[in-house]
Amino acid sequence: MRSFFAAALARRMSAGQAASVGLLTLVAAFFLVPIVWLVLEAISGDIGLWLSNSAFYSTAGAAIAVVLCVPAGYGLATHEFPGRRALLIITIVVMLIPTNALVLPLFLEANSVHLLASPLAVILPYGLFPFGVYLSYLYFNTGSFHALLQSARIDGCGEWQAFRTIAAPLAAPVVALIVFLNFLASWTNFFLPWVMYWSLDETSRYPVALGIAVQLSGGEVSGPFAGYTGLLRLQTSSPPSDIAFLLLASVVPVLVVFGLAQRWIGSGQVQGMGFFR
Amino acid sequence: MRAGKFRRSGVRARPTVRRSGKAGYLFVAPYVLLLVAVGIYPVGYAIDLALTSFTAHFRGLANFVNSYSDFRFLPAFEHIGLFLAIWLSALVVLVVGLSLVLQSLSGRVSAAYRFVFYLPAALAGAGSVMLWLFMLDPGVSPWDFVLHWLGYKTLGASLASGNLPVVFALIAFWSGAGSWIVVMHGALATIPEDTLEAAKLDGAGAWRTAIHIKLPLIRKWIGYMLIGALAAGSQLFAEPQLVNEATRGFVAQAWSPDQLAYILSFSLDNFNYAAAIAIDLLVVALICAAVILFRTKLFRLDE
Repeated sequence: MRSFFAAALARRMSAGQAASVGLLTLVAAFFLVPIVWLVLEAISGDIGLWLSNSAFYSTAGAAIAVVLCVPAGYGLATHEFPGRRALLIITIVVMLIPTNALVLPLFLEANSVHLLASPLAVILPYGLFPFGVYLSYLYFNTGSFHALLQSARIDGCGEWQAFRTIAAPLAAPVVALIVFLNFLASWTNFFLPWVMYWSLDETSRYPVALGIAVQLSGGEVSGPFAGYTGLLRLQTSSPPSDIAFLLLASVVPVLVVFGLAQRWIGSGQVQGMGFFR
Repeated sequence: MRAGKFRRSGVRARPTVRRSGKAGYLFVAPYVLLLVAVGIYPVGYAIDLALTSFTAHFRGLANFVNSYSDFRFLPAFEHIGLFLAIWLSALVVLVVGLSLVLQSLSGRVSAAYRFVFYLPAALAGAGSVMLWLFMLDPGVSPWDFVLHWLGYKTLGASLASGNLPVVFALIAFWSGAGSWIVVMHGALATIPEDTLEAAKLDGAGAWRTAIHIKLPLIRKWIGYMLIGALAAGSQLFAEPQLVNEATRGFVAQAWSPDQLAYILSFSLDNFNYAAAIAIDLLVVALICAAVILFRTKLFRLDE
């Protein structure tokens, strides 16, 4: 285990390597821009708006989650302070509460602080990810990590320095897991954006989940069919092929994030965190 | 690095060394701030609203009592109860059964099936409901023959109100069972080879090993799955809401308790009833969370 940590530390980039990566990124832009244009053209209009809203909310949420969860889990695992156990219990309890349970209280709160139509109304709740804190806590709460930290402290390493130079570079697997799980949860969330945006007709804020719901809202049935549920057929505001395209387009970003994070998600370090004892 | 190898290295046996001092607070502070802002404070605010009138007078439990007498309250909880009964039974029987079958297959085959079962999770929420509206619409659905065999000729017939608990359980199972199968498979994988070997030597067949050895060893995980699904299932919103839209309001607007609370929260004089119902549901979720944490002991507080 020690060797794994040491190897990961040794893998950090030198200045020359960083320059090469910069150059390659520029060349990659040449190769990618036409393809990105193609994708954007295919999803122009409403679909593009919904996808980019979803991408914004989910990415911002995942970024907040990583920045808060990794240090918090590290702090809980490596420091002793009054309230530590209580915080751990609260974290696990909130993590076990379904996200929908907090939606109406959040709506009532957002209403009272006039944040209803703001992107923050969904981004901040997405950023709260107690499961990520717990994962990070499990990750850093191993004997070998404590031993590594102990030797760094003996060598005179400060608290912040220890986190920045030892814990943060080693956190890649847990960061990947937090990003993927958090992104998936926010991307597929329906109730929270519905309450914050749909009811107020904030169409410019709709994420893709609400864009899907738009396909169903074609007004009331009138005429001879009214009142006869048995005769009702599925009426959508676009043809099924367009909706199928929308559904597929809504899955792609999840698959991309999964692809990027996959290398770490199935790795031994993550599975070995003792989730299954 | 394989999971098993990692576990056997015995890293957890060493004592932990935690440093005391203020630094710990600094690491957890940003998270705690957000936890209070969008986790604890809104709950406190909702409790406050639930106990007061909309002119901010203290009313005790009057809002709770009044919300119970709303004509939509009881049906909403009946609907959700029926849905939960179907969904939880399906989870226990099918998820545990499928996981046991998967475990008897070779690693690669089992992984391929787990991937297929997990795949719909990417389409969770509105996407899976939309897709299932097509699946239940005779004429469009690839399951057309099944719908015809059952005698459903229109979407309206497939979505007849008596069918809804089953339909929602079907959607929930399609998009959610895969992740539980992955969890259950992980739990089964922790059963030591020696235990299974010993059962074999004692003459236990595959069936008896599954019932008498494996099931008792993953009991806690089954409990976790049931309570977790109960908590999440009691919060059904997207499914009935979208079906309400699709059927142009033939399905009750307040089919589930979450929908009822949502409707009430958008009329000023019912704001406080909405808070009361939200608190009811939150209490259910909290009890479930407490049972999982303190009874199953699956989540490690310390070592």
